[in-house]
Amino acid sequence: MATSVSVTSVESGSPVVNALRIVPGVLLLAGIGYAGKVLEKTINTYAKAHHWRFPNIEYVLWAILIGLLISNTLSIPRIFQAGIATYEFWLKLGIVLLGARFVVADVLKLGGISLGLVVIEITLSLALMTLLGRLFKLKPKLTSLLAIGSSVCGVSAIIAAKGAINADDEDSSFAIAAILALGALSLFTFPAIAHGLHMNDVSYGLWAGLGVDNTAEATAAGALYSDAAGKVAVLAKTARNAMIGFVVLGYALYWAGRGQAEAVTNKATFLWKKFPKFILGFLFISLLVSFHTFDKGQVTSLGNLSKWAFLLTFAGVGLRTNIRDMSKQGLRPFIVGALGEVLIACLTLGLVIGANRIWGL
Amino acid sequence: MATDTSKSNSDGQGAWLTLDAWAVIIALLLAVAVKCNIFHNVPW
Repeated sequence: MATSVSVTSVESGSPVVNALRIVPGVLLLAGIGYAGKVLEKTINTYAKAHHWRFPNIEYVLWAILIGLLISNTLSIPRIFQAGIATYEFWLKLGIVLLGARFVVADVLKLGGISLGLVVIEITLSLALMTLLGRLFKLKPKLTSLLAIGSSVCGVSAIIAAKGAINADDEDSSFAIAAILALGALSLFTFPAIAHGLHMNDVSYGLWAGLGVDNTAEATAAGALYSDAAGKVAVLAKTARNAMIGFVVLGYALYWAGRGQAEAVTNKATFLWKKFPKFILGFLFISLLVSFHTFDKGQVTSLGNLSKWAFLLTFAGVGLRTNIRDMSKQGLRPFIVGALGEVLIACLTLGLVIGANRIWGL
Repeated sequence: MATDTSKSNSDGQGAWLTLDAWAVIIALLLAVAVKCNIFHNVPW
């Protein structure tokens, strides 16, 4: 089943050979990301010098657009594939380093609000997607995968759930394609709606973190609005990612109860196995900063290293989005996903606006 | 382009170190490098 992305694992072999295999693709990610940064600066400078009224297009969007252009007009040679697949590593590295830009008090306050909203969002999203799946007569396991993907954290959650509920490859590919296609659309719709509603950075960041499914897209959607919004989007998305184990465990128990998945013998081990461990790294760096382990300049350096890592991720988001491949997927899962996503986006927007009124974000 | 959903590079099944672990290790090494001023005033 074709989808937009190759998440091929690094094949086993000598570590040196594996490291060399990723070099061309990583250089391509870095080149595209840097080109996005140069384009932003050049166009802004040119527009300013010539008194043009040109909208400020952030490097994030340029990097995604260049990636999209390449992946949809050229056939990317195989030599680049392994390196392009590392975009997920750069995303996680960026998130861990982003811990430097939060002191623990911020994490507790915003993370606490995020966690509360995440629990509501997950409960409502799961119910909504299950209902839509039944209405549109989708296969039950495909419905489960779409519900998990749209409520928790996109592709990672679907991959984590696939083995746990014994879903077949076709169902998981459908669900992944739908989540990625909708994630790509959210990059353009979320910032536009938020600008229309004059949302502040924290509210928008929370909305992007709660409403956009895949972590890379949620990070990009946040950064497209502003640097501060990007920071909050990552925190909210991380809180959502932390729930992955509980949701997948729930579905694993459900399907095991129906004799259609392996029984879960040890729930604690299951939860630990599914827990995204990079979150611990994020919290550890945040803790180090809170105890003044780094001076101000060093904190800025760590924040900038995080931005460089995200730059490669954004290039990867564009490169792995192939519109032609996405259009080959069945229409029904996409419609169910789209309907669900629109409703979840409205719902999370309502939640964030409500939270803003209560806590004054 | 085929999506290999049989293996996850996020949970790193079969790999000797998971992607999450790599991300944390590299981030900590970078943090040490910044602390020791090996990386000084990283530009953006």
